[in-house]
Amino acid sequence: MIWTAVGILLVVLALAVPVAAGLGVLGLALSEIYSKLPLTLAIGEMSWATSNNFLLVAIPFFVLLGEILLRSGIAERMYNALVLWVPWLPGGLMHSNIAACAMFASTSGSSVATAATIGTVAMGEIRKHGYSERLFLGTIAAGGTLGILIPPSINMIVYGVLTDSSIPQLYLAGIIPGLVLATLFSLTILVICLIWPQLGGRRTGATWTQRIRALPDLLPPLVIFLAVIGSIYAGWATATESAALGVIAALAVAALRRKLTLRMLGQAFEGTMRTSAMIMAILIAAYFLNFVITSIGLTTQVNRYVTQLGLTPAQLFVAVVVFYLVLGMFMETLSMMVATVPIVAPIMIKAGFDPVWFGVLIVILLETAMITPPVGINLYVVQGLRSRGRIDDVIVGAAPFVLTMLLMIAALWFWPALALWIPGLVRG
Amino acid sequence: MEALMRGAHRATRWCTWFGGALILLAAFLIGIDVVLRKFFSTSIGGADELAGYALAIATAWSLAAALLARAHIRIDSLYGLLPLRLRLLLDFLGLALFIGYFGLIARHGWNVVLQSWHAGSRSQSALQIPTVIPQAIWILGLALFVIIGALLFAHALRLVLRGRSGEATRAVSTRSTQEDVAEEVRDVEARRSLESGLR
Repeated sequence: MIWTAVGILLVVLALAVPVAAGLGVLGLALSEIYSKLPLTLAIGEMSWATSNNFLLVAIPFFVLLGEILLRSGIAERMYNALVLWVPWLPGGLMHSNIAACAMFASTSGSSVATAATIGTVAMGEIRKHGYSERLFLGTIAAGGTLGILIPPSINMIVYGVLTDSSIPQLYLAGIIPGLVLATLFSLTILVICLIWPQLGGRRTGATWTQRIRALPDLLPPLVIFLAVIGSIYAGWATATESAALGVIAALAVAALRRKLTLRMLGQAFEGTMRTSAMIMAILIAAYFLNFVITSIGLTTQVNRYVTQLGLTPAQLFVAVVVFYLVLGMFMETLSMMVATVPIVAPIMIKAGFDPVWFGVLIVILLETAMITPPVGINLYVVQGLRSRGRIDDVIVGAAPFVLTMLLMIAALWFWPALALWIPGLVRG
Repeated sequence: MEALMRGAHRATRWCTWFGGALILLAAFLIGIDVVLRKFFSTSIGGADELAGYALAIATAWSLAAALLARAHIRIDSLYGLLPLRLRLLLDFLGLALFIGYFGLIARHGWNVVLQSWHAGSRSQSALQIPTVIPQAIWILGLALFVIIGALLFAHALRLVLRGRSGEATRAVSTRSTQEDVAEEVRDVEARRSLESGLR
């Protein structure tokens, strides 16, 4: 049964069947082959239930929030302010890139949006200050991945819904690992630039007056972060409610900057609904598939199979990490998550791993997948922004940060508290 | 046929505006609800339920827009290596499976609507909304998706039969990641030029 399922999945995905249809077809096929009951009859009811699931309402909210921010120009101002504050370290503006990505990530639930937004603003600085192009591009591709680790995070919502774990807890669990990973990225840049100073570009200076005057430009992202994560931390709002507050805060910021027009809103709606419909189509199919694989006992069988292998938790951990690293080279991250998490998460939880901790681990593995070739969405985003040269430059530039991410994964293994400390405080 | 496709593109655009507006409305409703609950210890009641309906309806009505924009994800690791003709064949296969699967959902979803109608079922919340109303609007969106999907299939097939495979590719193939990114870049750059123009 396991191999039939894996076989069908590989075939439909390799044939480039749209992921939503592929997962759905797999569900139908498995139900046809292995189920005595006609599970297909439940497909209408299940699709309706998934479609109006209140937890999932957070997804279009965060996509809309991102679309509004993208069109309100706060990213440029934020970046320019951070440039004044960070560049005295060896590596200069590359640290600003990481800081800007981390800050933008605290308002955005998507890594692609983070890399694209910060990338556009930062790209012009490479030549101006004589940076190594490759490493500079790498900092944007890698920094951008923080989008899904630092809350809010669309991938965490999907993980929470797939595994029935608390989305607010996942958000809170992402904060420290997100900050640690950003710091590690900066350290990576620092070490590289200490060894090869020629990569680090020319220093730029800034006066304290300039610095202070730029501070208000950092406010809008902070306001949105406080609305979204503050309301969760204070216990005022659930994950979806906090997303709604984020949308309202973003609209307010756009209105204050006089960017809020009907035309802008129309464009934001188009972008939002295209992306949201795509994500929802996958989730609707995935729910039915999950229902089928649970009903026919596939989950239990995989569980039994893995238990028979008699792996220690450490071996299991390494196996899962390697599995996702390899899969992540070839698969787009949302599809990878939806196809694997319903099977892998129960195994890990049964082996005694905390579901929230595992969620953070999965998100970091997804981040790695975004900058490992041949399929790494952030590599393509950054290459697309520069529209010259070869993608190899971005791949080489991002490579050191893959090692940094592996270091982060190891840290998460040795100090689970990195992820679990803040959620523990709130749980009381 | 071309005029019909242009009409479909325009219609799906309106649908995304409708869907987006519903989502924004839901955000405001929930926002107000949170504030009322926190500061006035009262509640609209059922804001979460209405937001759920908004999601279901907005999604169903926007599926076609995502289809025409080729926004539905496909894994193209292997696909990208294949010759053009084979790719086009896979495009038709993928499209047919997609329409077929959501057609099946629409077919069984219709039963759900009928059931709600006959049983006169109402939502659990204080609002007591007859569930048939949101469900009917939802199923209409799915039906629209199936119709537009079939239209797209026929349109692309017609192009291929007339030897205009290039245009067919543009209608149904995957947006290569490159193309995707180019769009994102155009978006951001358009915004920037707008920005600098305002300064």
